[in-house]
Amino acid sequence: MFRKVKQIHISILLVLMISIFLAGCNSKASENTPEPSTVGNPSTTVGDIKTLRLSWPKDIGPLNPHEYTPNEFFAQGMYYEPLIDYGEGGKLVPKLAESWDISEDGKQYTFHLRQNVKFSDGSDFDSSVVQKNFDTILANRDMHSWLGLISQIEKTEAVDAHTFKITLKNRYYPALQEFAVVRPLRFLGAAGFPDDGNTAKGIKSPITTGPWVLSEYKKDDIAVFTRNDNYWGTKPKINTIIIKVIPDGEARVLALEKGDIDLIWGEGVISLDSFVSLRDSGKFETSISDPVASRALIVNTAKGPFADLNVRLALQHAVNKQALVQGVTNNVEKAADTIISSNFPYANVGLKPYDYNLETAKSLLDQAGWKLPDGKTIREKDGKPLEIELVYMGPDQIEKPMAAAIQSDLKQIGVSLKTTGVERELRNKRMETADFDLLFWGTYGAPYDPHSFVSTNYEPGYGIFESQQGLSMKDELHQQMKDVLLTVNEEERQKLYTSIFTTLHEQAVYLPISYLTNIAVYPSYVKDFKFPAHRDETPFDSIDFQK
Amino acid sequence: MNLFFYVIKRLAMMVPVIVGASFVCFLLLRLSPVDPARAYLSVSNIVPTEETIAAVRAQLGLDRSFWSQYGHWLWQLCQLDFGTSFFSKLPVARELAARLPITATLALSSLAIAFIVSIPLGIASALRRNRLIDHMSRLLAFLGASIPQFWLAYLFLYFLSVKLDWFPLQGADTWLHYVLPSCTLAFALIATYSRLLRAGLIEGLQEPFVLYARARGLGTFAVVGRHVLRHAIRPVITAAGMNLGKLFAGAVIVEQIFSMPGMGGFFLESVYHRDYPVIQSYVLIMAIAFVIGNLAADVVQAYLDPRLTQTARKGE
Repeated sequence: MFRKVKQIHISILLVLMISIFLAGCNSKASENTPEPSTVGNPSTTVGDIKTLRLSWPKDIGPLNPHEYTPNEFFAQGMYYEPLIDYGEGGKLVPKLAESWDISEDGKQYTFHLRQNVKFSDGSDFDSSVVQKNFDTILANRDMHSWLGLISQIEKTEAVDAHTFKITLKNRYYPALQEFAVVRPLRFLGAAGFPDDGNTAKGIKSPITTGPWVLSEYKKDDIAVFTRNDNYWGTKPKINTIIIKVIPDGEARVLALEKGDIDLIWGEGVISLDSFVSLRDSGKFETSISDPVASRALIVNTAKGPFADLNVRLALQHAVNKQALVQGVTNNVEKAADTIISSNFPYANVGLKPYDYNLETAKSLLDQAGWKLPDGKTIREKDGKPLEIELVYMGPDQIEKPMAAAIQSDLKQIGVSLKTTGVERELRNKRMETADFDLLFWGTYGAPYDPHSFVSTNYEPGYGIFESQQGLSMKDELHQQMKDVLLTVNEEERQKLYTSIFTTLHEQAVYLPISYLTNIAVYPSYVKDFKFPAHRDETPFDSIDFQK
Repeated sequence: MNLFFYVIKRLAMMVPVIVGASFVCFLLLRLSPVDPARAYLSVSNIVPTEETIAAVRAQLGLDRSFWSQYGHWLWQLCQLDFGTSFFSKLPVARELAARLPITATLALSSLAIAFIVSIPLGIASALRRNRLIDHMSRLLAFLGASIPQFWLAYLFLYFLSVKLDWFPLQGADTWLHYVLPSCTLAFALIATYSRLLRAGLIEGLQEPFVLYARARGLGTFAVVGRHVLRHAIRPVITAAGMNLGKLFAGAVIVEQIFSMPGMGGFFLESVYHRDYPVIQSYVLIMAIAFVIGNLAADVVQAYLDPRLTQTARKGE
């Protein structure tokens, strides 16, 4: 009896020791977390304080407006403001610039800055701080060369306290649109700059003119944003935003079901199966945005069977896109007929879609000399089988099943498709060196397209230019792409875009598959949710709660 | 004293193992087909041209010879400098200092839970062979060995966090946050340990010294607790030593599902970005964790059975 009591004592002691050990190990970790009244509390409205809780797969990053990863796009987008905003249908809306003038030659942009705008530290937003931001951006031109505007800027000048002038080397029509991008053209307060003024090495603190201010932050765990009550514009209806880092999509769904978060929003933040399951549960509101970008296969015309137009055209007719988007994305993505969706500027050019027709595809392959020998399942030409390779990003949850479905589609017309899943860096390397027959790729989306799309087509280095080397009209096509960015006349610009899109479509250098969309899931008390037109902007400013 | 020399000797033997591990890791990384300079450029949105690649290679010190890079890294390590992450541009030591305690706590608490459950379970199933508790233990072992870890994690989250609200869903702030991930990791260990212990105890209970102890009038608990367990637990200690390193290295899935900012996610991200300083440091720390885990197991073994240290000394 005594022994039994002693053993129970030992067990209790052990449990206590473990508890103390675990609690002791983490006492420091809990010091920085926000107050319990907001975090982990099922109620998101306490008194008049409205707190929106959501999760993101990664940490928000250091909130440096001029840098890339590990800064998260959405965090930079919600935090910092541009001179010009990208609104509905690509309409350009004044933001930190109240108005702007463009010189007749299209090279000088004069911005009239909004007055009485303060940074979160109380300092003034004026042309000197705009100059300071442009100085560091231009000091790191190489890093930003992907953005056409940056390489076109010749000089910048603070004309007076509220007038700022930018001179370009050449005319560049998408300049205004590119002032709306999230990075690097947004503005940090002067006190946030490092001593040498070069933000490429980091910032001192995230000082913004925007509607939100970072009030608490624990790396890889949580970020709390509080409404900036001195904000110059329309103030958001909610007071606080809490962003928790939840890397796993399924765990994010469970967090929503538990009431730990109030919103799931974004591209690829949860599996599309989970999205459909949440939608069908009837417990949440769900919505899908208009197309924000395109998912396509780049077809390498420079080598192999796809050097022949008929083989490229056969591919267009052989892939059942409708079945792909339904089977793999549950129709969350929309089947794509053209490389740029017609809701983008200059992209509604009336191209005739290629229909899904296996007989047409087979006949095109016959015309190309790829015949099906008796008793075989793979076509051959000069004794060589018709084998092609599709490169996709191995860990991607959408590309892999899509690759398998395309493989099955092509088998029906006697084409052997080898699908190769590689991780991101290896995939980038293969793309840049055009070492593929087919490769999954996505366009930049709004507000970058269609102009960024054309520049990635004519600029060597990305792998697209290299993959178009098999086109007989490649020089003319790429020249048109360069010319369209220099146009000042709308009619001439539309004419060039029509010609570019028509050539790309007729030459079948892309296999458009689907249009990507943003998804949102939230409980019914979340009101006024609206997808921004800009792919990388956040919907937080319009959201309200009604319980 | 014997034990003291034994530990000193084993600690000394750690040095060549760790240096060897660091070298193999360094070599394998450099055999990778992806150039980290190119990966760095793609992360920074810079078009990789010959000039930009050369500039980044120089900036990251990748233009030096293999031996020069390795020597430089070892020299930095001697000063406890793990280098600077290519990706976050923060000192690796700072990143590790924030994450290592979380992973270590998770690993140690999983082992602790595994021991707390599997020792009584193993003893009970050995003493009550083919009775209800033994069948239950067998079933648990079967489940532990066959249930995928990620699925178990979701089951725990769904029932114990979402439905019953007993535990928080994500984070690593309080001890409560560690309960579900630790139990997830411990589940498979319990299966192994309880069966190992059961087998060892059953074998031990057949030994003549047990008969002698019983003849001396000792009760079952005294026989098992003082004599048989000491022998039977040795395979469990060896397995735990191996598992400690694995728990440090392999908690990636559990850390991701429970949103714990430990070493797992950090390492995964660094592999994507070919962040050499982070990968190298991670492998080094894992090597140390494996070696220390095995050393700790051996020391406990030697304590339980002093003959081991004598054998070691004779073998010198």
